[in-house]
Amino acid sequence: MKKMSVLGAISSDLRRYPNFRLGAEADIPIQDIPVPEELHVPLDGHVPVIARGQKVTEGTEIAAHPALQKGTLHAPAAGKVLQVTDTHISLKTDGETVQTPTIDRPDIAQHEDSFLELRKLGIDIGGLGGSEFLILNGLNPEPGISVCDQLLRDHLDTVERGFLILQKLISPSETILAVSQENKVCLTGTQIKHIKSFYPGSLAPLLVKNIWGRKNLQNVSVVGVLQLYAIGRVIKTRQPATETIMTIGRGNYRVKIGTPVRSILRHVEQPVNTGDRVILGGPFQGRAVYSLDQGVDKNTYGLFVVPKGSYPPVKDTNCLNCGECVLHCPARIMPNMIGRCVEFNLFEKASRYGISACFECGLCGYYCPVRRPLLQYIRLAKKELAVSEQTANSEIRYDLGD
Amino acid sequence: MANHILKPFISEPKLTVACPPYWHCNKTVATIMRDFLLALIPAAVLASAQFGFAAARVMALAGAIAVLTEALCLKIIARDVSVDDYSALLTGLLFAFLLSPSAPWWLVTIGSCLSVLLGRIFFGGLGGSPLCAPLVAWAVCKISWPRAMDLDLSMLNSEWVYPLGQLKYLGPEVVAHFNHINLLLGKQLGGLGSAQIMGIVLGGLYLIMRKHIRPHIPLAFLAGMYITALIYFLIDPTQYAGPIFHLLAGSAVYGAFFLATDFASSPVGHIPMILFGLTGGILSIIIRVYSVHPDGVPFAILLANLLTPLLDRIRPQPFGGQATGSIQSQLKIGNGGSVEKN
Repeated sequence: MKKMSVLGAISSDLRRYPNFRLGAEADIPIQDIPVPEELHVPLDGHVPVIARGQKVTEGTEIAAHPALQKGTLHAPAAGKVLQVTDTHISLKTDGETVQTPTIDRPDIAQHEDSFLELRKLGIDIGGLGGSEFLILNGLNPEPGISVCDQLLRDHLDTVERGFLILQKLISPSETILAVSQENKVCLTGTQIKHIKSFYPGSLAPLLVKNIWGRKNLQNVSVVGVLQLYAIGRVIKTRQPATETIMTIGRGNYRVKIGTPVRSILRHVEQPVNTGDRVILGGPFQGRAVYSLDQGVDKNTYGLFVVPKGSYPPVKDTNCLNCGECVLHCPARIMPNMIGRCVEFNLFEKASRYGISACFECGLCGYYCPVRRPLLQYIRLAKKELAVSEQTANSEIRYDLGD
Repeated sequence: MANHILKPFISEPKLTVACPPYWHCNKTVATIMRDFLLALIPAAVLASAQFGFAAARVMALAGAIAVLTEALCLKIIARDVSVDDYSALLTGLLFAFLLSPSAPWWLVTIGSCLSVLLGRIFFGGLGGSPLCAPLVAWAVCKISWPRAMDLDLSMLNSEWVYPLGQLKYLGPEVVAHFNHINLLLGKQLGGLGSAQIMGIVLGGLYLIMRKHIRPHIPLAFLAGMYITALIYFLIDPTQYAGPIFHLLAGSAVYGAFFLATDFASSPVGHIPMILFGLTGGILSIIIRVYSVHPDGVPFAILLANLLTPLLDRIRPQPFGGQATGSIQSQLKIGNGGSVEKN
């Protein structure tokens, strides 16, 4: 554990949010990370459409998703398919720059099945239904991530292009661009709303509440700047989406999907030791990788390493009842009681403490002094409740069928 | 530096996987308890300055016995002996602060032992106790050995008096001319630490500033006492003492900052904390007025502790109301809304 001088500790406590700032004052231009020799494109329920040994060119469709919301996966670079498993497709790149012909579709919004076209180009269209209100989330999603600010700073034209397409598709009656207080950006056709840039203010439910002061979330779409940029980029380059913009350490990078964590860390010269945690995403909602061979996916916006011993270890200890999780919970639920119920498999009881309102910001675990894995308990309860609900439903259907 | 990532499979770093969040506020039980101990130091120093070696002896004995009891009990029930988190030491010291500086060694030993055993271990250790642990032991000792626990009787050779005892046995006209500044400076008999009002307030403010306790309970407790005492005082000033006297005498301030705010036995929400504090404060004065015991604060806090489970039921509606589907399914969220990605 880090030793802190008493004075330093006091001054950091006096600031209301110790290190939750989302705004990035520094201008960190987006650099490219070179395409590595091997790519491991992660599959998230996608069904591969290519076989081992097949040669692909950049932009070849390699896997499609059965669900309507998820975009198709394309080869990020030209090469040969090394391996196809349930979790990923490995490619050996050959450095060729031959590309598939660009998509010849001047105005995608004029197309009949525009959403499906976007999906075919690799955009996840899950959140893009027709809505009355559209919020463009220009805040960096989590502390330590600065890609959204940077995209608004450097690539506003691409973001705008994405927005124009979306506007035509969704045709909202009101569009609001939520940005941090420091951000001076303006986007025609949107109303700018300056938001106090502290986590968890960037999370969609809180953003809606902050903007309209209401908690009724019907008829609202929240779309992040990262996705606007992805759509704009697809339209602009006429290439399918095969890259992600992410903050790595203190830098911002453009990374091909499937680039293994190992190659990225090597490129930014970040050492990793046994016992470290390597996190894809942000510090509050990301996921820890289990192997350095894991590749990044389209929704990854960050990569960082938490060295071993930086924080007290997570333990399955008794709840201290200090109430920090309850007092800090933006969803106003009781993670302390939920944790206790889940420990004894009392999932139904846990649901009475407001589990459905949780949007998994991770603050309960951040503040827990005994390091109980509170978010993990909540996720487990959610999953168990969903399963029991499913079986209950199927039983009813079975009864009816009889 | 970058080279060792390239090493062959054998030396591949084994990564730790975990559920988010990956950051932590770095507050642990040990650091919180250390801050509580720091907060007790001003009062402990003032008490030692006032009563000399006697006070230091009681504090040292109570602390040591509490740690030993906790270690022994944890060993017996085959748990990790986590006395290095200072929480048992704190329980012992909190108990010592309620005792008279001349408390006999057997009383200190039994009380400190009971505060850990009855207060904590029987209910599952740290965090499990439904009642404030030091007060449980205090109540047992007070009922069992009233003469040894009597603050006036045990300090007959002292130049000061126990203000609440004076009020109880001699009436409000005797305490009416008590100098409030003297009470504030600890020139009174009382619990050896709890009578050091200045030191206690200083420690309490430190804890609030470090955000280990919220201001809700202490302020509501003191406000509850003040208002109730004021009502009695306005009804009949010749029969009841003034509100400021009640706040400065006995263990009112100590109870408000250190005992009522005990993690395990106090409620967690904003409104429940305020109601809890008010209940404790109001009960304190009522007990002081009607009971045979001069100081009502410890009993009042114990009674308020019993209300905690009820008060914890008062809580705001979860975000998004009691809608059926989950908050994530209600809202259409595109990439960058940063909600779980499955």
